[in-house]
Amino acid sequence: MKSNCGQAPQRPHEMDELLEHIWTFREKGKEINKALLTELGFENLPKWLQSLETEGLIKIQGEEIHYTKTGEEEAQDIIRRHRLAERLFADVFNTSEETWERQACELEHKSVLTEEATNAVCAFLGHPPTCPHGRAIPRGDCCHEYSHDLKPFVTPLSEAKIAEHYRIVFITPKHHMRLDRLAVLGVLPGSDIYIHQKKPSYVVRVGETDIALDPEIVRDIYVKKAA
Amino acid sequence: MDDKQTEVLSDKSPKVALVGNPNVGKSVIFGFLTGRYVTVSNYPGTTVEVTRGVADIEGQKVALIDTPGVNSLVPMSEDEQVTRNILLHEKVDSIVQVADAKNLRRALLISVQLIEMGLPFLLTLNMEDEAASLGMEIDKNKLSEILQLPVTGAIAIQKKGLKEIRKKIFSSKVSPNQMRYSPDIEAVADKIEKLLPTAPISRRSLALMVLSGDKSLFDWLHAKLSDEVIRQIDHIRGELSGKFHEPLAYVINKQRMKWVESILEKVVIKEAGARSGLLAWIGSVSMHPVWGLFFMLAVLVIVYYFVGYFGAQTAVGWLENGLFNTYINPWAKTFFAKIFYFSPFLQDIIVGPYGVLTMALTYSLAIIFPIVITFFIAFSIMEDSGYLPRLAIMLNRIFRMMGLNGKAVVPMVLGLGCDTMATMTARIMDTKKERIILTLLLALGVPCSAQLGIVLGMLGALPLWATFLWFGVVGGALVLVGFLASQIMPGQRSDFMMEIPPIRKPTGLNILTKTFARLEWYLIEVVPLFVVGTLVLFFLDRFKVLPVIQRAAAPLVVNFLHLPVEATEAFLIGFLRRDYGATHFFDLFREGKLDAIQAIVSLIVMTLFVPCLANTLMILKERGLKTMIAIVGFIYPFAFLVGGIINWGLRL
Ligand SMILES: Nc1nc2c(ncn2[C@@H]2O[C@H](COP(=O)(O)OP(=O)(O)OP(=O)(O)O)[C@@H](O)[C@H]2O)c(=O)[nH]1
Ligand SMILES: [Mg+2]
Ligand SMILES: [Zn+2]
Repeated sequence: MKSNCGQAPQRPHEMDELLEHIWTFREKGKEINKALLTELGFENLPKWLQSLETEGLIKIQGEEIHYTKTGEEEAQDIIRRHRLAERLFADVFNTSEETWERQACELEHKSVLTEEATNAVCAFLGHPPTCPHGRAIPRGDCCHEYSHDLKPFVTPLSEAKIAEHYRIVFITPKHHMRLDRLAVLGVLPGSDIYIHQKKPSYVVRVGETDIALDPEIVRDIYVKKAA
Repeated sequence: MDDKQTEVLSDKSPKVALVGNPNVGKSVIFGFLTGRYVTVSNYPGTTVEVTRGVADIEGQKVALIDTPGVNSLVPMSEDEQVTRNILLHEKVDSIVQVADAKNLRRALLISVQLIEMGLPFLLTLNMEDEAASLGMEIDKNKLSEILQLPVTGAIAIQKKGLKEIRKKIFSSKVSPNQMRYSPDIEAVADKIEKLLPTAPISRRSLALMVLSGDKSLFDWLHAKLSDEVIRQIDHIRGELSGKFHEPLAYVINKQRMKWVESILEKVVIKEAGARSGLLAWIGSVSMHPVWGLFFMLAVLVIVYYFVGYFGAQTAVGWLENGLFNTYINPWAKTFFAKIFYFSPFLQDIIVGPYGVLTMALTYSLAIIFPIVITFFIAFSIMEDSGYLPRLAIMLNRIFRMMGLNGKAVVPMVLGLGCDTMATMTARIMDTKKERIILTLLLALGVPCSAQLGIVLGMLGALPLWATFLWFGVVGGALVLVGFLASQIMPGQRSDFMMEIPPIRKPTGLNILTKTFARLEWYLIEVVPLFVVGTLVLFFLDRFKVLPVIQRAAAPLVVNFLHLPVEATEAFLIGFLRRDYGATHFFDLFREGKLDAIQAIVSLIVMTLFVPCLANTLMILKERGLKTMIAIVGFIYPFAFLVGGIINWGLRL
């Protein structure tokens, strides 16, 4: 068979990595400056920063560093690919933490995962809001459209059908308390769950326990159809 | 709670605690083993306080403790904390873990923790009848072999399996089958363990509680350890949690569940099949978005007819007119007139207008008694059927407006029985803010049994608009005050996450026992207060203080509320118990001293009063002095204000 796998031109991974780090620093509310990035221990940091600036991805003003508009968009895409990949390998394939973290680093590059493929993964996972570390996954076009052409493999429980059996894949709660309460009622990844009704409150069944839940909670529980 | 029954115990009597998930039958078992009745109802969170009793087991007196149900021994609410504290502070000699056989998975999650604590216990799989009707089968011998603990089966409500519990209580063991966590957690647990003080439960279990972020342990740890050691523990914990992307408690729970699943695989012979039958059908219909509303309406109408019509009119008629006013009171009047011919004072104190017999006992026994009997019966049926949690589903939306959630429906409805008890049940709410709002609303506008009966009785005699107005104003006040309180107070609303038990057929025996227990409470605690209130009125009247108070209160009572001066007395005794005050209004109304507007205004003000002295004291005990003062200080002016507004509105 003829293969079409020629190398696409690609940006050095170090540059993607830097864009990614700036994003996570910013998420943590830090001021981005050269000193902060130096702590990361990159070889040739000045050179990579230079290249990023030349490509119009960042602006360097003295010590301070900012994204340009394109730079920010690029970074957002990288983060999105990275975190979606984490979800995929952590929750759907159940690989070890080491594996899914490494895989995510490989898959975060545009040259590896195209936008179309990224959106497909996103839909497959039911457009998850957070990665397994609990950080936000930037939304893509697919998340807004909610195109239904692709049968998602994982859906939020709120989208699931009444009177059918599902299995919990992952839970992305807003606070820990919620997670703990659900856990001791037996609502954990791997548990089978059945939706009895959606209104006036959700009532789900896990084992022989019926539990009434607010819709906010149900939206954070991601399930796949039970075999 | 320690009383006569526990006096027969010596220091050496063994102590046994009943522990388990909520609503699994602990209190039923406690009742049969000790012969002492504790409330049994079909919803999680019935027991919120420990009850102690004495069980005769194999010729030995055993101190038995009934505890609030828990889903985990890392407490997440005040009632769960009560149970964990028993294990932490009291040296119990043995535990009976009661499990719901059809929810073995959740029960084993607690077993893991009991094993970890190094406590000897016996596992009883209760509700085997329900498990069997679902077609479930569990290999108890295998389970016992794996856990290395005695395991028994039971159907508590049919008294089955109690003998086995008695026989095996003393053969309970400390299981050597400790669950192991992943190496990183084990290593850190080991490290923390070495820093912890000794306690009746193992240090390993304490270490795991600390890792799970158990805030309720905080005070205890601080009392036992130096700040330096606590910092060290925090540091070790911080390092470990940095390694995981999920909260440690969740990681620990997930590992526990894995262990539990691995056991279930070996002991579950047949899984549960589909549910069917009339009860399951009622269960679904009563929480259906549409049919559920009709169901709720039907329940309301039935209760109204039973309590407001049969109880408040038919039965009151029999007792009051048929018995008290035709026989007892006239007879007593002549009788006491003869005996105390020398002293009109003594005659009046018993049979005068403010007499103990003619007022206090006639009110409490002839008017209120039949109402509370019918109410308690209806109420017990609701509690035991499992309808209340379904009502919570239907009302969740409205309760969210008040800064609460559906879970608060149960204590609010319990308040219709007795606000004081319900105030204690506020413990089941997750956050402090919710507990305070709930306590406030209970005190503000949930009429308790006797008063509800009086209100229904009075509304029945007024035009229909009065009924709607009363419901509208009281309901509106609850929603409004709840809403404002939730806006003003810091803190947050918690999730509505509530276990819904299956609909069960109430047993006649439990309904009767519960109704009798409540009537006993009524006779012992409420009736004497009525007598006291009457005596107060009698003396105020006799020493001419009443007119003085009436004059002082006139601007409020007469000018602002447009009520007759006699209404002052009703308010006065209303401070003692609002249902008593309401009864007085009922009386004035029947004597024709109140017109329709006056009747409805007085009803509304009285309903919005603080329920009774006992309730005020319970607020003090549960929520502290400041909260109590704030609540009481708000409610009285508010009650009069609302009454005034309604009065002026109706007279425009
Ligand atoms: N079918 C059946 N019902 C039972 C059995 N044991 C108890 N029940 C019912 O289960 C409900 C709960 O019983 P309780 O004894 O109040 O439960 P609890 O464990 O004390 O509950 P909390 O105090 O809320 O933790 C009641 O309606 C009982 O009638 C049983 O063996 N079979
Ligand atoms: Mg109980
Ligand atoms: Zn998407």
